[in-house]
Amino acid sequence: MSTRMFSAAMVGVDPRPVNVEVHLGKTNSKFGLVGLPDTAVREAQYRVKAAMASSGYEMPRSEVTVNLAPADLPKAGSAFDLPIALGVLLADGKVSMGHRGLVAVGELALDGRVRPSRGVLAAAMVAAKQGIPCLVPRAAMSEAALVPKVDLFGVDKLSEALRAMEGSVEPTAPPPSGSHASPVQDLADVRGQELARRGLEIAAAGRHHLLMSGPPGMGKTMLAKRLPGILPPLTQTEEMELACVWAAAHRGRPVSIRPFRAPHHTTSVVGLLGGGSGIPVPGDLSLAHHGVLFLDELGEYPANLVDALRQPLEEGTVTITRRGISTTFPCRALVVAATNPCPCGWRNDTVKQCQCSPAAAGRYRRRLSGPLLDRFDVRVFLGRMETEELTGAPGESTAAVRRRVEQARQMQIPRGALNGDLSSSDLDALPWDGGARQVLSYNLDRGNLTGRGYDRVRRVSRTLADLEGCELVTDTHVLEALSFRMSI
Amino acid sequence: MPSDSIPYFCHRLQLAFSGLHPQRIHSLVMKAGDPAGAVHMIRTGRVKAKPTAREAVSIPAEQRMEELASAGIQVLLLGSDGYPPWLAAIPDPPDLLFVKGKVPVWAAVAVVGSRRATRYGLTLARRVGEAMGRRRITVVSGLARGIDGAVHEGVVEVKGCGVAVLGCGPDRWYPVGHRSLGERLLECGGAVVTEYPPGTIPEPWRFPVRNRIITGMARVVLVVEAAVGGGALISARLGLEQGREVLAVPGDIDRATSRGCNELIRDGAMPVLGTAELLEFLEAEGVCGPPTEVDRDPDSNDEKRLSGLEGAIGEVGATVETLMERLGWPLSRVLVEVGQLESQGRVAREGGLIRLKG
Repeated sequence: MSTRMFSAAMVGVDPRPVNVEVHLGKTNSKFGLVGLPDTAVREAQYRVKAAMASSGYEMPRSEVTVNLAPADLPKAGSAFDLPIALGVLLADGKVSMGHRGLVAVGELALDGRVRPSRGVLAAAMVAAKQGIPCLVPRAAMSEAALVPKVDLFGVDKLSEALRAMEGSVEPTAPPPSGSHASPVQDLADVRGQELARRGLEIAAAGRHHLLMSGPPGMGKTMLAKRLPGILPPLTQTEEMELACVWAAAHRGRPVSIRPFRAPHHTTSVVGLLGGGSGIPVPGDLSLAHHGVLFLDELGEYPANLVDALRQPLEEGTVTITRRGISTTFPCRALVVAATNPCPCGWRNDTVKQCQCSPAAAGRYRRRLSGPLLDRFDVRVFLGRMETEELTGAPGESTAAVRRRVEQARQMQIPRGALNGDLSSSDLDALPWDGGARQVLSYNLDRGNLTGRGYDRVRRVSRTLADLEGCELVTDTHVLEALSFRMSI
Repeated sequence: MPSDSIPYFCHRLQLAFSGLHPQRIHSLVMKAGDPAGAVHMIRTGRVKAKPTAREAVSIPAEQRMEELASAGIQVLLLGSDGYPPWLAAIPDPPDLLFVKGKVPVWAAVAVVGSRRATRYGLTLARRVGEAMGRRRITVVSGLARGIDGAVHEGVVEVKGCGVAVLGCGPDRWYPVGHRSLGERLLECGGAVVTEYPPGTIPEPWRFPVRNRIITGMARVVLVVEAAVGGGALISARLGLEQGREVLAVPGDIDRATSRGCNELIRDGAMPVLGTAELLEFLEAEGVCGPPTEVDRDPDSNDEKRLSGLEGAIGEVGATVETLMERLGWPLSRVLVEVGQLESQGRVAREGGLIRLKG
């Protein structure tokens, strides 16, 4: 007698169906589990046995063989407890199947309760694809509810799961979404720093990577933390992509808020880009997909870490290969970096004197320069503020800035890419006003702009025009964009 | 032996290569009666000196001259034609000068200041360098870090004439990072001057000694930023002893790097309150002539400079936020206008600070 249940596992950001096949043989009490299980999966037999006993059922007194197929995909975690238990009871004839098929995930407690586990999002996605219902732990309903067009059963106990399987209960209604969006820190808290605020707005509007430089305590971190708030809300597709990445990292995340990740400079390449043993998990760069990756004290990050960021940022994806499994994670993050101008931080300050030796300051700058620096379209310096600025009126609020950013992003939709991603040839194809061309060629001729700098200025100019709602980029946009280039 | 004879020159050259302190060489010559005697004393070991010094003076002067000629280094003997006349008049002029480039014989301005300068001092030094360079005033400084470097930067920026007085041999650069700056200085028609022969490494004691050459070559000494007890202040005192006109840039009274300058002003040095004023003073002193059309910055004139954005930027520069406040303009207008001036090469931006050029 054999039966088949469905479950799922996240491989990278790919939901993969896993078949849970159960066969009852003739010989006496024996439990075999095959299909590349890890220790947690292998221990499922004890949890399943105890949970069944607590729910009033007994493990069949025959040879039970459980196969997790495809056999070559490594299985990990406790998510297969529930489908194994259901499969065994089905094979034993203790329950009947009321659906065409059923996807189930969940860890079993010894007393028969169902605990949240990995693979919930993957299960819901597999179920949606196959058009069959999905059984998930009730505590993980909000994660599964991201997937549209699927019948979900949120269950607390094994006995509830059995009733759902028989088809005697209605699908559970998804919990109201977006209700627990945590309050975002408001941009109004930042006083003064007009240039940096403008830089932040441009960065958000065109998804330009932003570099902030300046002495300590001028509000670099404060501004960076407020960047997710001025980005437009996540679309449904974006939210799905993001949920998959976070599910791959085995983490739940607050729904509908753009992520803000700030890896410390002691983090490893694996921590930043993803990796690990077994099935690769995404790093902070991918966890910040559609959100903000904040690198504080950029000069402190080791060179190999900074170099490793270059290609993924260029391509928007990062591919990680581990022991035969290759996974690709999306990583369209907006990178915001903050740096001091020198090790002590007070170089270029108007009042305080820099204590660094010229050699140390030079070394610090050289670490920052190079190809990664070229990725930062917008660079601003945060200087010392006057007392009046600090005690004056609060700045513009997050909501007001976000409205402008949203309008600017609307303008970019027909172009098919955000301004920060436009290539040289894309930029050539855009409409440029005669004055804008003149300013650009004047600066190229005078040697004020290099080839790369030329593209950077053009991208930022385009965003400035979008913020104003202009189809045509004019000379004032280009002149303002010139102000956002800066050497460290 | 007359001081213009060839053997005299050869012995002087041999003595210079000994690597001894210039004052020591001077006293040896006094003791021996002439340079030939001093060479003999070192060579025979009657003077306590390193073996390397003995070997160095033994190399014939002809061979040295050939090496110098092939390296493009000119040697000027005190009292000969081409030796800077102002330098010759100081109490302890160097007997020999090793020169790369062309030493200007007319009056120059020395700019001295702290190696650990603040942004205020650096910006001002650079602007002073640009302003004087544009008026073809020879600017003498030490090519050191800080103020020296900034002033030379300003001079080469406008292709002016600058003289760098080194504390090492003319065949090397110190600090190494200023090599390209020094080379540009030469390209622009400036000169590199030192009393030390090629091969001399930059030992710390050589720098204070060369300071007398910096001030000695000039007629006016401008101190941009100096802490009390720093080398810049020593230079200023040297300049006073040499009878030079000493000018100082005032600074905050509670900033350590301004204290030296402020003390100089208290003691009678003329405070410099702006580049325009400085140029007027130099004109009155006869260091430079009145501005000609060629001297003038083609993009700007003095009246315009005092108004609008350029006036708001001021002598030492300003941040964007300061400009917004001073002019009452919105951010985008400030950025656009700054961008315009920057395209024309009239302002430069350094780490958030916008400053005027030239």
